[in-house]
Amino acid sequence: MIVAVALLMIVWVGLGIEGNELPYVTIRELTTNYEKKPGKRFRLGGNVKEGSILHNEDDLLALSFVLMQEGNQLPVSYHKIVPDMFKDGSEVVVEGIYDGEYFHADNLMTKCASRYEGDLRDTETSL
Amino acid sequence: MPVYGASLLSISLGLAVLTIFLLVFFLRRDDDRFFFVAQRTSLSVCFLVTLATVTLLASLVKGDFDVDYVARYTSLGTPTLYKFTAIWAGQSGSLLFWLFILCCYSAVVLLQNRNRHEKLMPYVIMTLAVVQTFFLLLVNFVANPFSPVEANFPVHDGLGLNPLLQNPTMAIHPPMLYLGYVGFSVPFAFAIAALFTRQLDAVWVRSIRRWTLFTWLALGLGILLGGWWAYNELGWGGYWAWDPVENASFMPWLTGTAFIHSIIIQEKKNMLKVWNMILIFVTFVLCIFGTFLTRSGIVSSVHSFTASSLGPMFLTFVFLILVVSIYLLLTRLDDLKTERRLESFISRESGFLFNNVIFVSICFAVLWGTMFPIVSEAVTGTQITVGAPFFNQITIPIGLILLFLAGIGPLLAWRRTSKESLIRNFSIPVLTGLGTVVVVMGFGVRAVYPLVTVFLTAFVTATVVLEFWRGVTVRTRKFGENPFIALLKMISKNRSRYGGYIVHMGIVFMFVGFIGKAFDKDKEWSMLVGDEVHIAGYDIVLTDLNEEERPNHFAWIATLDVVKEGKDVVSLHPEKRIYFHRNPNPDRRQPHSELSLYSTWREDVYSVFGGIDQDKELLTIKIMVNRLVRFVWLGSYLLLFGTVISLWPSRGFVKGA
Repeated sequence: MIVAVALLMIVWVGLGIEGNELPYVTIRELTTNYEKKPGKRFRLGGNVKEGSILHNEDDLLALSFVLMQEGNQLPVSYHKIVPDMFKDGSEVVVEGIYDGEYFHADNLMTKCASRYEGDLRDTETSL
Repeated sequence: MPVYGASLLSISLGLAVLTIFLLVFFLRRDDDRFFFVAQRTSLSVCFLVTLATVTLLASLVKGDFDVDYVARYTSLGTPTLYKFTAIWAGQSGSLLFWLFILCCYSAVVLLQNRNRHEKLMPYVIMTLAVVQTFFLLLVNFVANPFSPVEANFPVHDGLGLNPLLQNPTMAIHPPMLYLGYVGFSVPFAFAIAALFTRQLDAVWVRSIRRWTLFTWLALGLGILLGGWWAYNELGWGGYWAWDPVENASFMPWLTGTAFIHSIIIQEKKNMLKVWNMILIFVTFVLCIFGTFLTRSGIVSSVHSFTASSLGPMFLTFVFLILVVSIYLLLTRLDDLKTERRLESFISRESGFLFNNVIFVSICFAVLWGTMFPIVSEAVTGTQITVGAPFFNQITIPIGLILLFLAGIGPLLAWRRTSKESLIRNFSIPVLTGLGTVVVVMGFGVRAVYPLVTVFLTAFVTATVVLEFWRGVTVRTRKFGENPFIALLKMISKNRSRYGGYIVHMGIVFMFVGFIGKAFDKDKEWSMLVGDEVHIAGYDIVLTDLNEEERPNHFAWIATLDVVKEGKDVVSLHPEKRIYFHRNPNPDRRQPHSELSLYSTWREDVYSVFGGIDQDKELLTIKIMVNRLVRFVWLGSYLLLFGTVISLWPSRGFVKGA
């Protein structure tokens, strides 16, 4: 019985993963590979380029900025309230869709307040 | 001062290792003197670690800024309470704190059992000493909280604690979690002891029942407090995001809950002995793993942080635990196997077994989803995350099965339930469930998951109420007691059982709160004073914008008048604050949105002040209407209340049992 449940769980979880994948990529990987699956959502990490945050004149919610990572840059547009910690230089994670020119983010997160030692510049995490 | 702290930690490490050696000698030579001394060295370790912790606290409160940790996490302006709580704000301090709690627990276990369990205790103390040694190695060599600050100028003030963390809930949430994480070391130590001594019947299980319940409660409360804080402080409107660090705390809670249920079976029926061993090993490993996941940065998370050599050391420790535990388990397998078999699928035993299987399955799903990015990176080179949609999709159906089991558990008899008894016991709950569904559908609800959940919550509520009802009527008939007295006496005579039912009701209410999530609404606008917006039947006008200078921050305060169907409901005042606004360095000024919410049983109206363009006096405002959230908090209170009842000592109480 336990074996049956185990197999069932593996299948169930596998199906879940299939439909909900969100690759965490670098800017270079995104810009070179995105044509393969247009409309696919990606997740990227990086820092906000100093001076790149721009608001739309009349709609404070519409903003754009430039994401920097490993020397590469990516223009990002976002249309929601930004987290408190979001400003020049902050470390952010964005999720959304790339259209070849702009990255349309539907989710924007900044790192949590509490910190443990270590420099967080390096987004390619490893043990 | 810090010199004393560092020395205390070094001495403690030596004593902990000595304790282990003394116990090994005792077990080989059977000379009581070794055990006598070992108990005292173990207690000394606890005492010295406590002193070291107090030393760090003193440095934090005094503002010894030549200690690196003090300079990073406090400042002259930090309120005193948060100078204390800074002890767990950073890596090395929190590791010391973990160790401190472990030592407190170890001392209590040692003293509580000084005249009992003679065969088990040496192994229990030794196991705890090994865990202490690991953490002592970390705080001595890898992350020493007493390290001096690295600066070639005198440091007169510190960086201070982030204002987001200066909140009373943040003063309780981490220690509560630690009380839970660390606490599972005790049942684990007893399990190891039981395996070593081959005392594998119900003795070890009975001795750790209270500990397990307490530590499970602490972990659960820690998780719920985190959710409460996120909802009330962070402003994204949710209480759970399936973030890897959240999952890291949830997994041991899941297996811990399974364990609480299955040890009942071992105590009552002497079954599931192998399973219980595996469960407690997994739970403890998950606690260590959870501690590691939070600090190592191997998974992309908004909570995660990178670390030095901590990662490999934790992994080595986990590997060691697994090797030793599995070895012991395999060599004692024969002693653990039971002759008793499951007699029927419709019995309470099988209900408990299904319950366990489900908990472990959810844990597996969460583990897989959390670790998938690492696995995928190892295999394909890209870290593929799976977010909240995955976890919700997978766990909700399984969670509902669990809810169903909570309902039928009390209805099943031990060993075998007869068909007649099934039909008799099921009818009222099923009818209640269906009736409630019909009523809810009358309100226009058609979505499948909410309706199924409604059925199940009503079903389980009915079974629990019936259980209480039956118990009370038996007493009133037999003893002629007044029903209220009967209720109290009944609960008092079987605290475990009725406390458990109350906890189940807590879970039921939380599920009611979860149903609400399917109907949440939210929207954001760019607004000027005088603008009106609409959401979920509410009309909201931005009537005012004020500014206020306060002691440690500057605030813009928006006034939102909320009206429903022509009637005034409430005035909300979300704020946008800037902490350290006077700091000449603009990078050190911290913006913070202080949300304002109005809560009723039906829904919360939740407002957030996003941002402001001062020249234009243009604000961004987000309003969320979160349905039934209050039920989640109600459920949490019941969870606490029910567990306290289960833990409450009864007359004729044998200390520690």
